[in-house]
Amino acid sequence: MLTLEKPKASVTPIKKINPVFQVKDLNIYYGDTLAVKDVSVQFPERAITALIGPSGCGKSTFLRTFNRMNDLIPEARATGEVIYQEWNILDPRLDVVALRKEIGMLFQKPNPFPKSIYENVVHGLKCAGVKKKAVLDEAVEISLKQADLWDETRDRLTKSALSLSGGQQQRLCLARALALKPKVLLLDEPTSALDPISTAKIEELLLELMKEMTIIIVTHNMQQAARIADYTAFFFQGRLEEYGATAALFEAPKVERTKQYLSGQFG
Amino acid sequence: MLKAKHVDRLMTGLMIGSAMIMAGILIFLLGIILLRGASHISLSFLTSNSSSFQAGGGIKNQLWNSFYLLVLTMVFTVPIGLLGGIYFAEYAKDNKWTSFLRSCVELLASLPSIIVGMFGMLLFVNVFGWGFSILSGALTLTIFNMPVMIQVSEAALRAIPNHQRHGSAALGATRWQTVKTVLLPAAFPALLTGMILSAGRVFGESAALIFTAGLTTPNLHFRQWHLFAMDSPFNPMRTAETLSVHIWAVNTVGIIPDAAQVAAGASAVLVLVILLFNLSARIIGRMIERGIKGN
Ligand SMILES: Nc1ncnc2c1ncn2[C@@H]1O[C@H](COP(=O)(O)OP(=O)(O)OP(=O)(O)O)[C@@H](O)[C@H]1O
Ligand SMILES: [Mg+2]
Repeated sequence: MLTLEKPKASVTPIKKINPVFQVKDLNIYYGDTLAVKDVSVQFPERAITALIGPSGCGKSTFLRTFNRMNDLIPEARATGEVIYQEWNILDPRLDVVALRKEIGMLFQKPNPFPKSIYENVVHGLKCAGVKKKAVLDEAVEISLKQADLWDETRDRLTKSALSLSGGQQQRLCLARALALKPKVLLLDEPTSALDPISTAKIEELLLELMKEMTIIIVTHNMQQAARIADYTAFFFQGRLEEYGATAALFEAPKVERTKQYLSGQFG
Repeated sequence: MLKAKHVDRLMTGLMIGSAMIMAGILIFLLGIILLRGASHISLSFLTSNSSSFQAGGGIKNQLWNSFYLLVLTMVFTVPIGLLGGIYFAEYAKDNKWTSFLRSCVELLASLPSIIVGMFGMLLFVNVFGWGFSILSGALTLTIFNMPVMIQVSEAALRAIPNHQRHGSAALGATRWQTVKTVLLPAAFPALLTGMILSAGRVFGESAALIFTAGLTTPNLHFRQWHLFAMDSPFNPMRTAETLSVHIWAVNTVGIIPDAAQVAAGASAVLVLVILLFNLSARIIGRMIERGIKGN
């Protein structure tokens, strides 16, 4: 089907739940190239939202705005608004260090520090100035349990984190983020480097964590989105093409491009 | 026409050849120096004062001076070099100012040591009036060694993948916290290796010291606890001929009858110490690496 006009993005408003993030007219540039174009959307609290779309469509760039990780890329620049609680995340005066304590992130490749398992988990707390051993010990136990890693590591907390398997390393990174008791968890293809069993484990954990926090996950794996996400956002060439409840979006996409992508016509 | 396979074989042969030439030269050089010097190394050679006129002098004071100068130099160099390296690797923006600074460091690193020595003499010996002294020598060696230390530190930090920085930043760490608690520990093996290797360079340096630490050494008394006494081993204001300067001096301006033997013995000791530095750099670096990887 050919249309001359660009189909309008279909964003189903989500009313019933409080939005955690309200994104308004977000544009993100790398130098002069626009990587995220005019995105306006709201993400609900205590739910899993999946960001999908072909490679290079701006999912990671978009995700990194929520904890201002794009600050680490010198040529990246954003305009628009991302409202979180009463703040605009894009405000240059915002305390990004405090922001990142509330909004945790998990990366594509497990990236534990070359230190002990214990030191990995307490890294964020120590940077936040927590010194009491009892507090740190307790946080280690709680967050490793949350990441379902406690039984495997309780006897080897002083061992190097690099001695863990890939799946265990990713759960350690999860525990490390959870130690700060974040309100939001951002995940950028967190299972793409893992085997199916480790992947299933992470998914299970996310479904559990969702009860307490908001989760936004970038994934290339459609089944994964279908399995765990309450809402799904489809990006194409920097634009948010379609956004709505996962089941509805997968079963009856409203935008032609979404349909094509889901049916594997490109990607 | 030469077939690609033959070219490949030829190039492989040339590479193996040049590697073997290098190894051959090294073994030959070490062999000669150690063989010629070994017969002259004895406990009394290592533990007696050098003599100015008669045969039979030792190298005790020169050996001490070399180590003392090395330690002082490293005390000055390591913090400055580390801070400079951290600045270039983690803080400096990619702009003209940074590339200007980086060119300065590179230029400084490539200056011949004799020039650095002349500069040290001008500044520390004459302008500051510290004379030929350990302090003048150590600061001159600092100028000589600091750019290398900066480059080593920068390279060690840059070798750490970015995902470590991102991981730490995402946990709310400030840049300095990331440097201190993630990057420096991760870079430690490389930093230590670089430090020990540059220590070898400092230990063997002579040209920069001839005009700054002097060609003579007082006979040191190791029970002299007055810091500023002339015969105190720790006095930073006294002259201090080092081992490699001694080798140069006995061969050129010395009048001792056994100059050749003393030079051979001292050379062998010098080479052994530097060899020791290099070996320990490798071994310690590997040990720490294994400790970090753990299992
Ligand atoms: N550091 C950067 N500098 C310049 N351009 C960049 C940079 N990072 C990403 N881009 C560009 O921005 C666009 C979006 O990239 P992004 O990484 O957000 O895509 P993505 O949807 O996450 O892709 P993938 O699925 O492959 O991870 C791409 O065209 C990419 O080339
Ligand atoms: Mg991506």
